[in-house]
Amino acid sequence: MASKALISLSTILLIHSCYSAHEHSLLTPTTSLPLDVAIETVVSVVLLCFGIVLGNREELKPISWSVWSGLMEREKGCGQFGYLEERVGFLDIRAKRAEFEKWVKGAEEGS
Amino acid sequence: MGILKLLLSYLSIHPSPLRNPSTSLHLSQQAPAFLSSSESAKDTQETWLIYEQLLLSCLRTGDDNSARLCLQRLSDRFGVDSARVKALTGLYDEATSRSRGELEAVLQRYQDILKEDPTNMPIEKRRISLLLSLGRTEGAIKALTSLLSHSPNDAESWAHLSSLYFTQRLYPQSIFCLEEVLLILPNAYNIFARIGEVTYISASAGASNADQIEAFEEAIKYFARSVELSEWYLRGWYGLKLVTGKLIQAKPSDGTLGKMESLNQLATEKLVQIVSKFRRNVKGWTGFDEAEVLAAKDLIDRDEQKISR
Repeated sequence: MASKALISLSTILLIHSCYSAHEHSLLTPTTSLPLDVAIETVVSVVLLCFGIVLGNREELKPISWSVWSGLMEREKGCGQFGYLEERVGFLDIRAKRAEFEKWVKGAEEGS
Repeated sequence: MGILKLLLSYLSIHPSPLRNPSTSLHLSQQAPAFLSSSESAKDTQETWLIYEQLLLSCLRTGDDNSARLCLQRLSDRFGVDSARVKALTGLYDEATSRSRGELEAVLQRYQDILKEDPTNMPIEKRRISLLLSLGRTEGAIKALTSLLSHSPNDAESWAHLSSLYFTQRLYPQSIFCLEEVLLILPNAYNIFARIGEVTYISASAGASNADQIEAFEEAIKYFARSVELSEWYLRGWYGLKLVTGKLIQAKPSDGTLGKMESLNQLATEKLVQIVSKFRRNVKGWTGFDEAEVLAAKDLIDRDEQKISR
């Protein structure tokens, strides 16, 4: 909610500053842009950035590689390089099937 | 929530469903519902990813009917001549073969395909794994080395070759292959830990006392690098604790004892934290492999007994 309000406010400011700059260039083409218009532009852009970042629904990922890969390990048990151990291209499907059958049998006996 | 979304979120929580039987079973149980739903007709990247995963899971759990349907739709979409579909078809044929003769026929088909197109990597990989499955390890290693000589930047193949050498107890060759993987993927922390493990195992298998200590120190470096790259990598911490424990027992005369003890303590702290949080099912700590956590607990307990004695 806060992010939406911030985005709309900053968008209005940005449009306003663009309009002011346009009017200024029409009225007095020779002088440089007034300071307040420049300030308004910068402030609106900064606010817009904040609004967009605040509105991000997804969780931000850690910046540090080790923290991030540690997170993957403990949450999913599989990091970015898990495929090097799984090696689906070399999948021995018959062994996997046999393993599965054994697992099902074991679960039935256990229950 | 639609079934497509359900499957996608399941896959994002369990990125490798083939690792243990229960996740494969869960996926394959969803397969008939997905295949008969209207969402299965969507032509998006995600749908085809789901098809491939379902195919693998169904083959594993023996649901051959759903598997055939998945394969059928994949080949309708991408054509039977696509390299990936060809490999999946081969996989299906392997899984449903009933006798050795049928498997030999599949192998012959792979060889025919390769004669026409020697650069078909997925089929070459299938041929190698079928050779292995038939017990011809030597042939598989030969084929894999020749594959790597024409495409040396395939990390998966290097990792596989390493594991083949490992089963033959050719430890130096196995380590060499893992180092090749590191050249391609310098951040692969699990490969660092694996080198540590192989170094440790090969040193434990033979070698004189002095050589052994040197190898253990080498292994520690690799384990330390792996946990440096991933702060909760259980196998890295496990190896670090195990090998530093061995070195402390050997009582090195040079000034490394203090360093070993502090490393050992750090690894113990991390492992204790992992074990206790995993057992209490703390959110965000449930991804570890249960057997690995049990092994870590065992190691901690053994160490405590030694101290109390």
